[in-house]
Amino acid sequence: MANNDVIVTESITKVYAENDVPVEALRGVDLTIQSGEFTALVGPSGSGKTTLLNIISGLDAPTDGKVWLSGKLLSGMSGNELSDFRRDNIGFIFQAYNLIPVLTVEENVEYIMLLQRVSKAERHRRVAAMLAEVGLAGYADRNPPQLSGGQQQRVAIARAMVSEPAIILADEPTANLDSRTGADLLDMMSHLNTQTNMTFVFSTHDPMVMDRARRLITLKDGRVESDEIKG
Amino acid sequence: MWLILIKLAWRNLFRNKRRTIIASIAIGIGLAALIFADALWVGMEQNMVKTATASFLGDGQVHRKGFRDTQAVEMTINRLDEVNDALSQESIVEQFTPRTFAFGMITSSANVSAISLVGVQPPTERFLTQIDNAITEGAYFEGHNDRDIVIGAKLAELLEVTLGNRVVVTVAQSESGDLSQEMFRISGIYRFGDEAMEGGMAFVRLGKAQEMLAIGADVHEIAIKFTDSKYGQDKTLPFWERYSQHGNEALSWTEILPQLQAAFEMSKFSKYIMGVVLFGVVVFGIINTLFMSLYERMFEFGVLRAVGTRPLGMARLILFEAGALAVVSIALGAILGFVLTWIFAMVGIDYTGIEMMGVTIQELIYPIMTIEPFILYPIWVFIFTIITGLYPARYAAKIAPATAMRRSF
Repeated sequence: MANNDVIVTESITKVYAENDVPVEALRGVDLTIQSGEFTALVGPSGSGKTTLLNIISGLDAPTDGKVWLSGKLLSGMSGNELSDFRRDNIGFIFQAYNLIPVLTVEENVEYIMLLQRVSKAERHRRVAAMLAEVGLAGYADRNPPQLSGGQQQRVAIARAMVSEPAIILADEPTANLDSRTGADLLDMMSHLNTQTNMTFVFSTHDPMVMDRARRLITLKDGRVESDEIKG
Repeated sequence: MWLILIKLAWRNLFRNKRRTIIASIAIGIGLAALIFADALWVGMEQNMVKTATASFLGDGQVHRKGFRDTQAVEMTINRLDEVNDALSQESIVEQFTPRTFAFGMITSSANVSAISLVGVQPPTERFLTQIDNAITEGAYFEGHNDRDIVIGAKLAELLEVTLGNRVVVTVAQSESGDLSQEMFRISGIYRFGDEAMEGGMAFVRLGKAQEMLAIGADVHEIAIKFTDSKYGQDKTLPFWERYSQHGNEALSWTEILPQLQAAFEMSKFSKYIMGVVLFGVVVFGIINTLFMSLYERMFEFGVLRAVGTRPLGMARLILFEAGALAVVSIALGAILGFVLTWIFAMVGIDYTGIEMMGVTIQELIYPIMTIEPFILYPIWVFIFTIITGLYPARYAAKIAPATAMRRSF
């Protein structure tokens, strides 16, 4: 494992027992993603993108195989250790229903820092800076339902990045957005990736994401079909 | 961190206002019912104690030791003058009155019946009994005619007598056992709602009774009314020991009428059972509310877990929501309980004429509001809600983030 490998998977398999019928979602996935990559996991529905992202993030455990994130082996961690590891190392951007609707924009963004016990002053400073970065300065006191879909995803990006994690995992981040808003968001993430050197991994069907991704990993039937690094 | 969880719980509670309000009302009704039942119980207890003690018994009594078992005419109170002097010095004694008792026979021109002849001193007796208020015909020992006798309506019916009719009372005298017979004139008829009393108790003036029984100035009983009825229930009061000397015994009404006290203890137990049943009903309301809220927000729980909230944090969130639900329910229940109790404390509940625990209720029962149920029961509801919340909290703590978010990736 090289020093700048942030995600390493080794022979990952995942078998679900749906109605007592075993379903193989992943059939031996070996991946290495390096720090600062802007990578898209693509593939048809049922190809295993979801399962792979769940396993990479420690939200689900593989049936077999190993996952290292930032050099740490996930399989040996307890529930609390996994929670703390995700809190400190992974930022999540989901497709929708991303934010906690009863918390304000500011509270949503600062939530992870509260878990990390960051001081109040530092939290306020970072939230203000991050909201400014995603173009939502002045929206701190709004509630998510008062924002458009694009604005909500910007808040989600702010929340994912505010604690400066090593990895950002994004699940179909543009799926519910119009193409213009989606493109703006992707440009913003691409810019932040360049600026901060955080690793971005997307699961997507969106051609816009595939266009901007610098590496495309295609999954099919639970296996890596192709792995293309764009020039 | 706690603050944000509390904030989150409180705001989550009002996301589905209708459900929260319905659940809170259900829990609140349970609490209100407990508060009302408690007030009714206190009111009923006081009413029954008052009925039992104020109608004839008094808060306490002094007799010669053994008199209550034998009712022997010669067993009069020892050192009566000393007892009278001491009682008149007692700061906690409001009134006391002497009585004589004797089994006898009453005869009219039409019939004959066994009675308990009670000699009373009317001026002081009226402070300890309600017979004077229960007179429906005639008067309660007006003037100075020592041939006056007051009998119950049932006895009058049996003897077929009315006001002014003559009756003959026969009793056995002290020591000699000779029969003493006197003629009396019916001067008053009372209706008390207590059949045993109405059919078997006749009252004459104390002096005449003492003369018939040949006991001089002695008496069999001194009935006592305290300045505060609570003294009558305090068995540790030195008063009882002070007057249980020289062959006498001083007893509180709880010892004279132990079945009433036992019945109160039993009804206290019934109150606890009712509480358990009500809380049992409330439990399902709480569990249902929390689980419905939990299932609706499954994805959010997944997000919270994904971003690093520990399992215990999730459990805490649900417990805070249970706590917030309890706070809202307690506020509703306390208001509802207060209003309900207040209304019935104003209008009263009519149980008059009904015999409960050996006491015939004479007056409307007014629930009595005390501060205790407004503190104790809400604490119970809160603790109970939190304990009930442990089940959904455990469920939330065990949610696998990937399962919760299956709709996502």
